[in-house]
Amino acid sequence: MSGIRRIISIGMTVLFGIAIYCFYSLKYPYHLHFQEQYQLFEFTWAYFLRVSSVPGGLADWIGRFLTQFCYYAPAGAAVIALLLCSVQLLTFAAARKKNLSTYALSFLPVIPLIAFYCDENALLGGTVAIAILLAASALCRQIRDRRLRLIIEAALIPVLYMACGSLTVFYVLITILSECIENKAKALPFALISTVLAVACLLIAVHIFPYVLERLVLGVHYYRYHNILPVMLWVAGLFTAVTACLGSLEFWDGLSRKHILSGSLIYCLLVLLGTGLTIKSADWAKEEWMHYDFMVRMEMWNRIMMTADRKNPDKPMTVSCLNLALSKTGRMSDHQFDYFQNGPEGLIPAFKGDFTSPVPTGEIYWHLGMVNTAQHYAFEAQEAIPDFQKSARLYKRLAQTNIVNGDWGVARKYLKSLHNTLFYRRWADETVALLDSGEIFEKRPELARARDLRLKEHDFLFSETEMDSMLGLLRVENPSNDIALDYMMSWCLLKKDLGRFVELIGMVTAPTMPKSYQEALLLRWVLTHDSFEGLPSYLLPVHAQRISRFINDLQAGKKEDQMLRDYGDTYWFYYYFRYRS
Amino acid sequence: MTLDMKRTLSLLITATLVLAACSPKARNASQVAARPDIYPDYIGVTIPTGISPLDFTVKGTDALDVVLKSPDGKTLRSGGKASTKFPIKKWARLLQKSIGDSVMVSVSARKNGKWESYEPFGMYVSPDPIDYGLDYRLLEPGYEIYSHMGIYERELSTFKQRAIIENTQFDGCVNCHSFNHNDPSAMSLHIRGKHGATLLQFDGKLAAYNTKTDSTLGFCVYPYWHPSGNYIAFSTNSTRQGFHVQPDKIIEVFDLDSDMQVYDVRNNQIITAPQIKREGIWESFPAFTPDGRTLYFTAAKAIAIPGELTQSHYNLMKVSFDPETGTIGNDVELVIDAASMSKSVCFPKPSYDGRYLMYTLCDYGTFSIWHHESDLWLLDLLTGETRPIDEVNSDDTDSYHNWSSNSRWFVFSSRRDDGLFTRPYIAHFDENGVAGKPFMLPQRDPANYYEDLFRSFNVPEFVTGPVKMNKIRAQKAINAPERIQFGFRWSK
Repeated sequence: MSGIRRIISIGMTVLFGIAIYCFYSLKYPYHLHFQEQYQLFEFTWAYFLRVSSVPGGLADWIGRFLTQFCYYAPAGAAVIALLLCSVQLLTFAAARKKNLSTYALSFLPVIPLIAFYCDENALLGGTVAIAILLAASALCRQIRDRRLRLIIEAALIPVLYMACGSLTVFYVLITILSECIENKAKALPFALISTVLAVACLLIAVHIFPYVLERLVLGVHYYRYHNILPVMLWVAGLFTAVTACLGSLEFWDGLSRKHILSGSLIYCLLVLLGTGLTIKSADWAKEEWMHYDFMVRMEMWNRIMMTADRKNPDKPMTVSCLNLALSKTGRMSDHQFDYFQNGPEGLIPAFKGDFTSPVPTGEIYWHLGMVNTAQHYAFEAQEAIPDFQKSARLYKRLAQTNIVNGDWGVARKYLKSLHNTLFYRRWADETVALLDSGEIFEKRPELARARDLRLKEHDFLFSETEMDSMLGLLRVENPSNDIALDYMMSWCLLKKDLGRFVELIGMVTAPTMPKSYQEALLLRWVLTHDSFEGLPSYLLPVHAQRISRFINDLQAGKKEDQMLRDYGDTYWFYYYFRYRS
Repeated sequence: MTLDMKRTLSLLITATLVLAACSPKARNASQVAARPDIYPDYIGVTIPTGISPLDFTVKGTDALDVVLKSPDGKTLRSGGKASTKFPIKKWARLLQKSIGDSVMVSVSARKNGKWESYEPFGMYVSPDPIDYGLDYRLLEPGYEIYSHMGIYERELSTFKQRAIIENTQFDGCVNCHSFNHNDPSAMSLHIRGKHGATLLQFDGKLAAYNTKTDSTLGFCVYPYWHPSGNYIAFSTNSTRQGFHVQPDKIIEVFDLDSDMQVYDVRNNQIITAPQIKREGIWESFPAFTPDGRTLYFTAAKAIAIPGELTQSHYNLMKVSFDPETGTIGNDVELVIDAASMSKSVCFPKPSYDGRYLMYTLCDYGTFSIWHHESDLWLLDLLTGETRPIDEVNSDDTDSYHNWSSNSRWFVFSSRRDDGLFTRPYIAHFDENGVAGKPFMLPQRDPANYYEDLFRSFNVPEFVTGPVKMNKIRAQKAINAPERIQFGFRWSK
């Protein structure tokens, strides 16, 4: 290719790169943050050896190196865009025929990869492996001496297997098919030797590495869950082999004047396929949850409420993030029921032994001052990471909880690991310096706050069934812990335990009774009295009048959507129409 | 010799000389009237000849120059920026020349560009040999969920560590491992999780068992091999976890119920008896005496959990056992009344010479590793006297221990290093029942090794030789659905 055709082709790659960048940085950025927070890339020789000493380890190490840039979503999106463009260019380089059509065809393997990275458990190491394998086969094609080329191609199989893992099968496929296309039957001994070598690599690996054969076949670390086949990645691998071979066929020589047409047709088909596959693969519910988790992590309380105002969250995880933001901004007792509530699960989700849900729930406990529980959740989430990686975000939290608990020796271990990272190093170094100087609690108010809020006089075993008592003790031991009060009262309201709510209302010291509490007290009054006579003065008439209307409408059998329109911001609506325990 | 070869050789020699010159040596050092603050603390420890070099570092220094001297004047020098790096073979030769006496250690360290020499200290080299290696589980000291873990073996005379089995080979976790009198050919190992099983390897055979029977409480938990190899005593425990809200204690692991039982290896049957499976009593932590005729265990009154958890006090008990018939005696006897002291006994283990019994004593419960007050105690089986082993105990947790096959060494788990991560310490134990100062399991670059290690050494067990477990056979047995079912019979 030369001249205008080359410019067109490069332009298509640039356009493609921009499209990928825009998608991941603008529409799907929180998946990138999610990826980054479940790894801890350390710039140490020991870390490199540990990661790279299994089949596919080098590709995995490079993948992890690249993933750390997802700390900033635009940087992560740029990395993915560049990586996918590299795969496309290398696929083209592996094809022998260079024309507009084969160039267009070289985008084919990248389509499933875009879909693959819509999955939050897809790891970059897989695509890095494909890129290395394509580069190896493309470089081998440059060797003119056939015998030397065959020797090098065969010798590279175990090397590439160790570096890239089981995706090496596509390197073997590309080299065999290319040799067959070029040399027909003469390539059969090479094909046989290559196949034997590839199988031997697997069989030898079973005896050397602590993995079962199935895992070595599927790939040790292309996907966060080892027992799930990353279909899209393997499809992409297959497409690279198919594309490289199709791109080597003589067939393209016969289309000398029709490449613009055929190329355009291929581009159109690929755009359709890519768009369809991406729409099908993108998980917007998870993206929403990851968005909330990110905002909680960054303590963007106002942004959380603005996001909720645009679209009311309705999953327990997202609602719990919203409730934390409401409490942190002092709005919970007045405005909690302005938003959808789905019971106590939406306030403090119950513990689940996975690597995702304990992370934002642990944030809630951290802000409540339940430091041990926050530590428990951070630790468990990290241990539950299916591919046994560590998490920089959770290391940071564990360093914090250990500092607050006075276990500075343990905290320093976490800080030492964070010191070896790119984006957490500064924070870790500053923290170590503050520990050394003894100024940690003066200079880190969030730690001083957690130290002041945590329980000191009472000790008991954590129990989710006694949440209101635990929250009450937090408030009793530290009367400035307004979040504990918010959560305790809200816990009773969301459980619809009005009796307990009334028992605890004496702990509320606000100058005026918050709206939600007034509504709850009025409801309790209505349920236990025949009239409003003797109603306490802190229950405003405006709310009393409104509950009268509510009861009348309820008794009149108004439909739920009408009640939602008229009373959707009240506790009464929640009490009668939401959450069945 | 060709020109190229000569050139290569001369380059190699030059490089070696340059490297040797780089090793720091103390010059114009000022004398300090104190011993150095070394990590790990190896000052005055008693060590066996079969131990790898006790490399160490001096806190707060940027270079080291250390000279070891045997009683006959032979020296061994090592230095560096991070820690010492004594050559393994030369170290072993030096220890051989020092048996029954001390190796004297002279330390010079560079601080802020100035060299300081400290008062020398000794490491006593015992004539008592130690076993081949140490087997342990490495895992994060966590709560309920586990990440990467495995059973590993360390050759004590070198720094070599190898994995025996890891949970990358199956879905689940590896749990208590046990050997018969440190014999690596008779091993039991629990697997928990999706592929739960108990692996038994003896007589060259390896098989996966389902240890839960209709007549027993649950799966077998804490094991102890009978010296004949024909039985394994197990406790069966219904275990739960709880989490404190205050920082002093983080985790509580407790039993809701537990019983004792003996597995008849040859007949594939669990044997139990009403006297070790009593209503209202929780029995745990079995251990046979070396003659195989007595079974020690712990027992506590059942209480309401978790409300009365701190009232959970386990006494040390014993009962006779007839290995010929597999009969558990009726003579259950109280040995140590820990409950009367408001204490709790864990991990009783008689020395293999039958003279002593070592156990862990904590304030309450069965999971002493999470109790900072846990200490090792010794019971003299001849006199009945019991005492804390102050020679080895620290201010933090000192717990799970295991005897060497000659009963002259013991290894135990301690959290004295940082309060959380368990490290193995080895101590000498003389014929008079006195322990030497313990030393932390040596590592090549101990400060960085232990600082960077986020895993605890769990259940350290001496072995007299390398464990020969075929990785492929083991993972096949674990991943296969088939399990050999334990049978059951009551004791006569």
